[in-house]
Amino acid sequence: MDKDMKILIVDDFSTMRRIIKNLLRDLGFNNTAEADDGQTALPMLKSGNFDFLVTDWNMPGMDGLTLLKTVRSDENLCDMPVLMVTAEAKRDQIVVAAEAGVNGYVVKPFTAATLKEKIEKIFQRLEA
Amino acid sequence: MSSESSYLTEQYMDRLDDLTAAMESGDSQAINALVSELTTLRETSLYQELGMLTREIHDTIRSFADDDRLASLAQDEIPDAKERLQLIVTKTDEAAHRTMAGAEETVSMIDAFSARAQAMRERWRRFRKRELSKQEFVVLYQDLDHFLEVIDDESQAIHGKMTEIMLAQDYQDITGQMIKQVVSMVQEIEERLVRLVTISGGAVDGGQTSEAPRGETAEGPQLPSASRDKVAQSQGDVDDLLASLGF
Repeated sequence: MDKDMKILIVDDFSTMRRIIKNLLRDLGFNNTAEADDGQTALPMLKSGNFDFLVTDWNMPGMDGLTLLKTVRSDENLCDMPVLMVTAEAKRDQIVVAAEAGVNGYVVKPFTAATLKEKIEKIFQRLEA
Repeated sequence: MSSESSYLTEQYMDRLDDLTAAMESGDSQAINALVSELTTLRETSLYQELGMLTREIHDTIRSFADDDRLASLAQDEIPDAKERLQLIVTKTDEAAHRTMAGAEETVSMIDAFSARAQAMRERWRRFRKRELSKQEFVVLYQDLDHFLEVIDDESQAIHGKMTEIMLAQDYQDITGQMIKQVVSMVQEIEERLVRLVTISGGAVDGGQTSEAPRGETAEGPQLPSASRDKVAQSQGDVDDLLASLGF
């Protein structure tokens, strides 16, 4: 797992973006950027050479599921690993996110250890 | 209603004309008959008004009953909102205590090694002034070694406490989403109350909101009382579900 990889954190709550950013920094990832919804995130993803996307689901403008689907249908972005960090905990929703091609799913509130474990798992799988 | 009242007025006028004629001719039998007809006429119009009022009330009650959304607001969403608000109180309380506990523990750790540093500094000062005996220097040397070790360990512990304080702030996201859910419910109730006022004024319009496919819409945090069959209660549940899907 490349600690210099560029990560985009998408959440409409700035406190949550800060928390994720700080936790990622603790894990050694310093190369992060933030966006507050899918609409802001998409142009950043298209032009920013990002390696990893961490996104919330419930956001005004473009929500995380739509962002995920858009990423998967974009020929330049379709292989990007996506971790969903969300309060959406309905089983139907988790299934929908899985079908849309999410690489990992973390429900809020979460611990630093959970975030670490899911990120490691995503990259272990990609590198295998 | 106006045609009915003009019809009634006509009827009254007819009877009154006849009554005047009967009184002029002194026909007491006809007078009696006409007065009783007038009374009947008055009662009939009263019943008609009452009938119309009853129908209006009936229609209004039926439009209440036909509005499923209103029923679900009253039965499910208002109790839900109360539970959400209660949960917000609990979450903010927990977060404040987590933050305070973290800060208090950090302060006492810093105080402890600050006190050790001060004592060490005093001895270090004496050492630099060559006031320390060889025996005292050996002790200082060992203490210094131990102190550096402690600083290293404690710094990591403080880092942990700070991460804990930072994570405690996730309440803002969870409660923020819940407050938004309650606000949107209050807005909906407000709109529906306005509609009820319109209904009682006679105009009814039944608007149904279209629903997105199952699971596609974000709904925000679920209440702890949500059904286990539908809602994952923990990260473990989420992992199990994903594993069952081949993740």
